[in-house]
Amino acid sequence: MSESYEYLFKFLIIGSAGTGKSSLLNNFLGNKFKEDRCHTIGVEFGSKIINIGGKSTKLQIWDTAGQERFRSVTRSYYRGAAGALLVYDVTSRDSFNALSNWLRDARTLASPNIVILLVGNKKDLEGSREVTFTEASQFAQENELMFLETSARTGENVEEAFLKCSKTILAKIETGELDPERIGSGIQYGTGTSKKLAAPKKPVKPPSDCACNV
Amino acid sequence: MASTSKDSVPDGDKVAGNLGDDLEPGACSDSILNPEDSFEEFASELTPNLQERNILTAKSSTISEIQSEIGECSQLHGTKSSDNLQSKDESISASTSSSNLLEQNGDEADDKDDYLHSPELVNKEKHVFILSSAGKPIYSRYGNEDKLAGLCGVIQALVSVVEEQNQDILRSISTKDCKVVFLMKGPLILVAVSKSNESETQLVMQLTYAFNQIVSVLTLTQLNRIFEQRRNYDLRRLLSGAERLIDHLLIFMEKDPAFLLGAVRCLPLPEKSRENITNAITSTCNKIRDLVFAILLAGNQLITLVRMKKYTLHPSDIHLLFNLVRSSESFKTAESWTPICLPKFDATGFLHGHVSYISEDCQACLLLLTVQRDAFFPLSQAKHTIADKLRRSNCLVAINDALNRNKELPTTNPLKHIGIPEIRHFMYKCKSTAQLFTSDPICLDKLQDYRLRHKEGGDITEKKITKLSDIEHVRKYRKFCSQIHCTSTPAKLIFRSNSDDTILAWITNGFELYVTFDALMEKDQAIRAIDRLLHWIKREEERIFIMNAPTF
Repeated sequence: MSESYEYLFKFLIIGSAGTGKSSLLNNFLGNKFKEDRCHTIGVEFGSKIINIGGKSTKLQIWDTAGQERFRSVTRSYYRGAAGALLVYDVTSRDSFNALSNWLRDARTLASPNIVILLVGNKKDLEGSREVTFTEASQFAQENELMFLETSARTGENVEEAFLKCSKTILAKIETGELDPERIGSGIQYGTGTSKKLAAPKKPVKPPSDCACNV
Repeated sequence: MASTSKDSVPDGDKVAGNLGDDLEPGACSDSILNPEDSFEEFASELTPNLQERNILTAKSSTISEIQSEIGECSQLHGTKSSDNLQSKDESISASTSSSNLLEQNGDEADDKDDYLHSPELVNKEKHVFILSSAGKPIYSRYGNEDKLAGLCGVIQALVSVVEEQNQDILRSISTKDCKVVFLMKGPLILVAVSKSNESETQLVMQLTYAFNQIVSVLTLTQLNRIFEQRRNYDLRRLLSGAERLIDHLLIFMEKDPAFLLGAVRCLPLPEKSRENITNAITSTCNKIRDLVFAILLAGNQLITLVRMKKYTLHPSDIHLLFNLVRSSESFKTAESWTPICLPKFDATGFLHGHVSYISEDCQACLLLLTVQRDAFFPLSQAKHTIADKLRRSNCLVAINDALNRNKELPTTNPLKHIGIPEIRHFMYKCKSTAQLFTSDPICLDKLQDYRLRHKEGGDITEKKITKLSDIEHVRKYRKFCSQIHCTSTPAKLIFRSNSDDTILAWITNGFELYVTFDALMEKDQAIRAIDRLLHWIKREEERIFIMNAPTF
């Protein structure tokens, strides 16, 4: 796999055990949905190159185990992440109630500029729903999170979740809010981009003046 | 008609003489596996004194030893991944198991009594219960742990009464048709209840494996600390998701002869293929300084193991790795990075493992184990390099042929190639290398089928099985294995011939052999057949066994 890309974004998938984090990753990577999935042990790694706003971007995704005993392992991955999917299960009130703890970890351990998308998974199980869209949307607003409901089984909104998060990261780079050069931003220039030799100037003019040539 | 071991010894010597000038099949100067005798260890579990019981700390930390040799001790000070308990756990109730029992009203007690007699529990041939020394349920092979809280309280009471009043350790309870074995391991009590023909030692072995599986997930350090801080802790919270590992382990321990004999199966491969695989790993990994083991395995069988100099792995640690890989489908779809404790290697801390299948079209799994918790990307790169090398040298084809039981391979159906029609089944263990070979290697399909069937069952069954495989022969061999390893009156050779079959069990300094023949075989005839069998294994040993111990 020697495909070139302009940016590399480091992503986390976090949330309680059993909410479908690994199925989201598998669906995004193009693998088939598995009904009886066993728990993730430690962390799992996948990567994929997507196109965002005309820019080839490699997403480096860490799918973390939700069990308590892996907390010390998975916490070490918060530092240096550019984006995170914070996943709960719409059919599990407990997983929604646990979001505050996961969010606190993210706010404490990750970069302050990390982009977090709240993901309500298992949207297809409407008959077992325990968390309404409205309630979760309100939680997202109160905590300044983006929000989407997905189904890893049907694939609905799975790619959209990663795209939405990535687009927001890219927008922050272009406005100068996120500096790829800074250690811990979770962003790297890719193999297709030559790094600027001089220290990058922060843009003082409109974004259209930014020159991003391949 | 049965013969005593005394009558048989002279014939055994005669056979041994024929092999006098050669090492036994599968023997070689170096071994990747630590062949330390498992039987002595498990038997010793039956006799520890009370004071030693609570001391479960390893004498030294192998992982720390490796780190100090690498010279990065200061950098890796925080490598051990033992969790500190959350402060919120302080709010957990400190009530004891006995007070919980007292609080139950009559109706609840009746319900739980009914549950203990329900078909869901009573019909099982074997039960395994794991509880804390405070009597809290941690794991049960069958049934719901919450509903078994009363039973766990009874078990804990039995154990503590024997300990406090008699200054003794409760080992086992036997009835006419049932055997209950107890194992106390630090803060845990493990209990096996069995109506099968397994011996106490064999049941203790299984409980020890279950305990080691828990240690593998948590480390002994963390396990001890948890209960030092809070005797009444509910360990199920930390073990969430690991029940599957224990379930799978218990299923296979009863069936796979590798556990019974304390040995490891190797995937039979042409010598050149295995050499190429080992070279691909060695040439790729020899510059990765923190790497301790690189292990390639498939279908519960070892393909190769490359190690840091000075260190070997015990078969029981390999079995836990097999169990980890076998129990997790997720390794097939992504690269995993996971903490793994290998209790025999070092029970006090984690190695960190990069675990992934070598290719989408080959069911071999590569584990790269390191003491360095931040080494994911170098190991990920190494894995892809190794996979490319294996593909180019056609090793993946050789592995798939072996896994798919290619009929042209002599090791796929050894009985056919050996040409001794009276032999129905055998299993052979080379003691110096702790490697095992049987006439019916368990293939992936059969394991899967067994797993599916087992989901429905575990019930006591009277079914008559027409064609026996390893899975069924192990049941027959258990009794012989127990007799031949009996510490008080060990035997070297047991020969039993009846109208069902003829079984011979033979143990020497170099190997252990169990053979099932047609019914009513004469002893002389059996001895000659065994002589031919051993010569065949010797001739094929380069394919059957791993005959060297490569290092980085």
